[in-house]
Amino acid sequence: MLRAALGAVPHTGTIRVGSLDPADRRATREIRLRSGVLKQGSDLVAGLSGRMNAVMGTAGRWTTRDWLQVAVSGCPSRYQSRLQELVLAHGVDDCLDARVSQLSGGQRQRLALVRALLSNPGLILADEPTSGLDTASAARAVAELRDAQTTLVVATHDLAVADAFPRVVALRKGRIVHDGPRLDAAAQSLVYG
Amino acid sequence: MTTTELATTAQITRRRRPTWRSTISLVSGVLVIGWAFNGTGVSLAALIDGWRSGANLIAELLHPDLSPEFLRIVWKALVQTVQMALVGLVISAVFGLPLAILLAGNVEAPRIVRETARWTAAVLRGVPDLLWALLLVACLGPGPAAGALALGIHGTGMLAKLGAEQLEAVDAGPVEAVRLMGAGRAAVAVLAIVPQARAGGLSLLLYQAECNIRVSTVLGFVGAGGIGQEIALSVKLFRYEQLSTLVLAVLLLMFSLDVVSRRLRRRLGAVS
Repeated sequence: MLRAALGAVPHTGTIRVGSLDPADRRATREIRLRSGVLKQGSDLVAGLSGRMNAVMGTAGRWTTRDWLQVAVSGCPSRYQSRLQELVLAHGVDDCLDARVSQLSGGQRQRLALVRALLSNPGLILADEPTSGLDTASAARAVAELRDAQTTLVVATHDLAVADAFPRVVALRKGRIVHDGPRLDAAAQSLVYG
Repeated sequence: MTTTELATTAQITRRRRPTWRSTISLVSGVLVIGWAFNGTGVSLAALIDGWRSGANLIAELLHPDLSPEFLRIVWKALVQTVQMALVGLVISAVFGLPLAILLAGNVEAPRIVRETARWTAAVLRGVPDLLWALLLVACLGPGPAAGALALGIHGTGMLAKLGAEQLEAVDAGPVEAVRLMGAGRAAVAVLAIVPQARAGGLSLLLYQAECNIRVSTVLGFVGAGGIGQEIALSVKLFRYEQLSTLVLAVLLLMFSLDVVSRRLRRRLGAVS
């Protein structure tokens, strides 16, 4: 569903992101530029530094000057202060110069969140953001997502994660079976049968 | 006996019984192999006939020419062989790696660009390096320049194909993440695909360097410079003691190359 919202897979029915149709090629690019993506397992590029990974989500907006600055310092100057602010807020300021392979699962997930937030997106799409994290790291990831100050769509199988957000839409066999504030016992029986 | 057991027994019986198809396949196979042996003249009698001249050749090969003048010539030819291989590697890396990026499916280059890259790579690697050397010797005249260019042209095609396979094998997760945040094709390739394939790419360059040195030892047979040219000359003039020295030099070069290559691969963390 998240990939369909970004025009990455064909779909039937109607999807609108804002007023844009992801099936329209020109709109797809616009939607993607306005979105932050947080995927299962963080999906950082292993051979690069934390800094390069944090800034690469903004690459769709880079000018030639930005590319030159990335080649020299690893970050376009216009994103420098926002990057600093985000890495301090998420406690990964010491991860910028490290290789991704040297980071823990929790650090990678937080760095992926920084990557998703750096361009100040109007929408964040998170696919199983707590997958593979220990309980403490998962709780922290959920808290940070809640504080993201933007529209957030989280896909999860974890009921505890779902309950941490104000609106829960539950699907069963491709159909919506619940749309409300919490997945209570009645709603759970609808979802899990 | 149950129905299932009966069915299994029937299947086994069916499998064991030779069918007329398998008999025809076997007979055809034997005929084709016999035809190939007959056509090439390989036989035990030919081996026994050739043994006497072979023994003379081996006897002469056991006394390599180690005179300082000839060793100087061998050294010069070896250096030229390595130079040809290096120049060939640089040419193939400069042209082959960008072609590999255009060829890789996950880069999603425009179809016409990708097809053009595919055909270019196929033609460059489809013609063997020895044939490229022959053509280039005809154009540029004999010498190491023709050999180096031949290695570069064939290597470009090889690196394009093998490099594209390396790029396609990278983890698709980060590639999709960057693409879904609006990065264009070039940005996705530069930021998410190429960095993941870096170790494999370096290992590939090392492999190509090995191939270039191996091939450059025979390119001289067609006049394209290097130690192969000296080998061809000593064979033509029946100077087997010099041929022996040259073969030893080639073996030494290959052995050193193997040691260096293994060390570099270990440092890169790549599987040899």
